[in-house]
Amino acid sequence: MVGLSLGEQNFIKGGIAQDLRTDGRNRLAYRPIFVETGVIPQASGSARVKLGATDVIASVKAELGKPNLSHPDKGKVSIYVDCSPTAEPTFEGRGGEELSAELSSALQRCLLGGKSGAGAGIDLSSLSIVEGKVCWDLYIDGLVVSSDGNVLDALGAAIKAALSNTVIPKVQVAANASSDEQPEVDVSDEEFLQFDTSGVPVIITLTKVGKHYIVDATTEEESQMSSAVSVSINRQGRICGLTKRGGAGLDPSIILDMISVAKHVSEQLINKLDSEIAAAEACDEETEMDC
Amino acid sequence: MEYVNPEGLRLDGRRPMEMRQLRAEIGVVSKADGSAVFEMGNTKVIAAVYGPREVQNRSQQSNDQALVRCEYSMANFSTGDRMRKPKGDRRSTEISLVIRQTMEACILTHLMPRSQIDIFVQVLQADGGTRSACINAATLALADAGIPMCDLVTSCSAGYLNGTPLLDLNYVEDSAGGPDVTVGILPKLDKVTLLQMDSKLQVDTFENVMQLAIEGCKAVASYIREILLENTKQLESRRGVK
Repeated sequence: MVGLSLGEQNFIKGGIAQDLRTDGRNRLAYRPIFVETGVIPQASGSARVKLGATDVIASVKAELGKPNLSHPDKGKVSIYVDCSPTAEPTFEGRGGEELSAELSSALQRCLLGGKSGAGAGIDLSSLSIVEGKVCWDLYIDGLVVSSDGNVLDALGAAIKAALSNTVIPKVQVAANASSDEQPEVDVSDEEFLQFDTSGVPVIITLTKVGKHYIVDATTEEESQMSSAVSVSINRQGRICGLTKRGGAGLDPSIILDMISVAKHVSEQLINKLDSEIAAAEACDEETEMDC
Repeated sequence: MEYVNPEGLRLDGRRPMEMRQLRAEIGVVSKADGSAVFEMGNTKVIAAVYGPREVQNRSQQSNDQALVRCEYSMANFSTGDRMRKPKGDRRSTEISLVIRQTMEACILTHLMPRSQIDIFVQVLQADGGTRSACINAATLALADAGIPMCDLVTSCSAGYLNGTPLLDLNYVEDSAGGPDVTVGILPKLDKVTLLQMDSKLQVDTFENVMQLAIEGCKAVASYIREILLENTKQLESRRGVK
């Protein structure tokens, strides 16, 4: 990215202070969101989200696996994000690894809850098939195709859309399995279960520039930030995860204020996202019925 | 296993000399200088070009021509079984090298000395013929970036199963173990820039299969030219020309 001159930096900061950003939005407005589901046919569920020029793809793959010994009644979910060099020439080779690791762990924190699996946005017990022996392993993969700021929010939205697009095949367990052996499971090709995503949170990143916070920062605005707080909130208005990035220290009262602003913005975002996902799924079904 | 049934239809219903459906779009990554998406059937590939720009690594700078670099990576979800390592494995390194050499042959590098052109190719869905799809996408992306080239480079693959030459193999046909010939040509100049084959084939059969692949490349070239013309018309109307 070409560096910003002093004049450009002041323009961005001044605009934010006056509630009129460079692209005409006010501080708490999101860029137009486009959601497309079912983009990867061989995955169990997938979605592509475009937030302005930021473009990310998320795919969910369900595979049979063995549950963790410490949590025999829960399935496993692993999240992995890859930054494609098409987004940024610096992501070539191993350049994007740092950002990928940061995004993966931030998403894990927001969606998967604590070590005991309690409080996870995704209901892990629904993934268990035979307690202690067989469970579903969900592999969630994110790919950043084009980045223009606010990649974390876009990934959170894409994962939510991909999960609502995910269908898990129905499994029948052989009844006469002894307790020591691995039971035989018959994965149905016909019947599927829709994954329940009402509890999956969205992530809202508030970027502090000067004295004000903005939502959905572009790369230029992010270069002027002092610090950023990413809050993950679910439909009930509960906070599911919190990450603070950036070196500048924040007064605790400011953090509480940012959380309440994020809660306020989250209602609109969740409604918008749900309607976009429903529209994308309806579009998907229409094209399927046309065949 | 039967790859061509007695009626002459392949596993996906195509005729032996029929290509998969092509689809291309230019300008998908707005941040890049040039970008394109290219689909051949179920194989979907994004290419982004950054350049010409200043050389990042001074020691590699060349005083009389541009430096062309290329990286090929596959997404985790691109293949049927989830891949563990998206880049850095030997196949990716080899394909990166192949694409770089092919594109370097057609870019007029002497016009841009002391600069660097980066071509990044990302495979979103792999269903056979990823090498060819990547080269076609890279050509479109370079054209979108306005980088001077002596000709388009198009690529297509062909194979030989059940005694029939088949054009544009998909993943199932590719993994059948029969020969797979990938050809890249400069259509206007009628020159071959890339030729790779695995497995074994009789020499006269090879000539047929290679000719079939070259025909496929020419079909891709006419499609690419259509897409570029369409794109130029749109640019003209946006700029108010005519």
